[in-house]
Amino acid sequence: MTASRLLHLRFFAVLREQAGVSTLAVTTSARTPAELYAELVVSRGLTLPAALLRIAINDRYATMDTPLSPGDRVVFIPPVAGG
Amino acid sequence: MFELTDQPIDATARRAQLARPDAGACVVFEGWVRNHHAGKPVSRLEYEAFDELARLEGEAITAEAEQEHPGCTVLCVHRTGSLGIGELAVWIGVVSPHRHAAFLACRQVIEEIKRRLPVWKKEHHSGNLAEWVNCTAESVAGRLAPENYYARQASLPEVGVTGQARLAEASVLVVGAGGLGCPAALYLATSGVGRLTLADAGKVEVSNLHRQILFTADDVGAAKATVAAARLRAQNPLVKIEAHASDVTPTNVRALVTGRTAVLDCTDNFATRFLLHDACRSAGVPLVSAAVYRFEGELNVFAPHQTGCLHCLWAGKPALSLEAVANCAGDPVFAPTVGLLGVMQAAETLKLILGLSTHADLSSTRLVNLLDASTQSLERPADPSCPVCAKVVSSSAAEAASFSLHPLNDSVVLTAEQLALLGPVQTIALLESGESLDAAAAPENTIAIAMADLGRLRELAARGPAVLTCRHGLRSVALARLLRAEGLPGIHALAGALSAIRPAR
Repeated sequence: MTASRLLHLRFFAVLREQAGVSTLAVTTSARTPAELYAELVVSRGLTLPAALLRIAINDRYATMDTPLSPGDRVVFIPPVAGG
Repeated sequence: MFELTDQPIDATARRAQLARPDAGACVVFEGWVRNHHAGKPVSRLEYEAFDELARLEGEAITAEAEQEHPGCTVLCVHRTGSLGIGELAVWIGVVSPHRHAAFLACRQVIEEIKRRLPVWKKEHHSGNLAEWVNCTAESVAGRLAPENYYARQASLPEVGVTGQARLAEASVLVVGAGGLGCPAALYLATSGVGRLTLADAGKVEVSNLHRQILFTADDVGAAKATVAAARLRAQNPLVKIEAHASDVTPTNVRALVTGRTAVLDCTDNFATRFLLHDACRSAGVPLVSAAVYRFEGELNVFAPHQTGCLHCLWAGKPALSLEAVANCAGDPVFAPTVGLLGVMQAAETLKLILGLSTHADLSSTRLVNLLDASTQSLERPADPSCPVCAKVVSSSAAEAASFSLHPLNDSVVLTAEQLALLGPVQTIALLESGESLDAAAAPENTIAIAMADLGRLRELAARGPAVLTCRHGLRSVALARLLRAEGLPGIHALAGALSAIRPAR
């Protein structure tokens, strides 16, 4: 079975408002950002389609299927357009 | 329309000339000869124009005003020859359906005439004394000398005279004159970016005023680009500000971005953002892009030939679907967020022009959150499957970081140190009436000619690379640009004034 790992999450813009926090430490068995986001949709009530988000892992943009490692810092960024 | 005349101006006839059945406003400005200047009594004036250049410049000034203030018809008549006290020296009439545009256009024309028209006046004082006053030098170089205006900036070691000359040479397009565009354009203008174009099709609304800092309550209902341009001209008369008061579209985007030193994306939608990004990429122009959500903002600098483009960021997601989930016009905005991000865009643009951008500046997304005062930087790697970046993925980070905006030869204004690097160049000193050249203090083999002798100037310029100089360092730049426009690429202007030119008297 997949081991649980501690991840440090950060939410931006509308995702921050939906999550109710800027940062969050979670222990999860999710192996990828896609699996992690699916958990967050349930646990924090996030509503944006995963396909329209940007993900960064350890200060570098990554994809929804990038493997996660213990201690990773994961950032979720929605489309932002105000000007 | 612009006219130079040595005959008295008939204001009544000129006004009748502008009559139009749809005009609801006529704004007239008259410049009169007064009996004093700088504390001295004046008995009459003599105007002398640099004819060919004055007509070209005058036509350009009135045409710009008509273009920027749609619906306005502009007529400007400028006198030459001998004028007595109280006589009309310049007459400007603007008619338009509504008064607001007519007032703005009229003010713009007189300020540009004072600033740009090559006209000199000779003041006759009592006791047969007379002196020539360069109108431009009087209004700009005297009152607002660039070396004074930019003194506290050019003294930064990272800027210097060279950097200030680079800024004066730069041409920047700001798309969106809203919360981001207002502060961005303001700092670009005050920093001395030589040519600034503001593009926005919108009109000022009351709900804009809390964050769009170039507009006042009086501007509600007027075109944003036009009002912002007028405001910036007043802020810094030393730079050229243009307004494009219509949308940026697939049809006009190429013409708008080509030849720019940088473009700023201060828009509020993904469709325009992708349009600008792709046009900039194909024209080889850097794009400085920002977007905000309430208390948070993000900034990206997309340099040409750099991987990690806008398409990599969004991995082929269509603009339309992003638009659907992104915030939009009408959403709440914390004013300092757009202020901060707009100022950051100005800073990144100035750094690009000055050659101060780091590799990280050109390859990261900067995130800012004003609620907890946090910032974060995310590296933007290339998406190997990106249709836009794929062909340049092999270019190294070093190549990308060293891309140069201004090869020396393309630059019109050069410092003495930069000129030395170019090798032998003929120095041409352009003298105004009464000025003389101190040959001992001038560069070796300097040729002195009369400023008004355009024929002789063209003849000398056609012989090979040349650098133009004059006493104020302003008209030499205008003439170098004119010659380049005529197809003489090796023509430069010396940054600043040539001290070897002695003033009239």
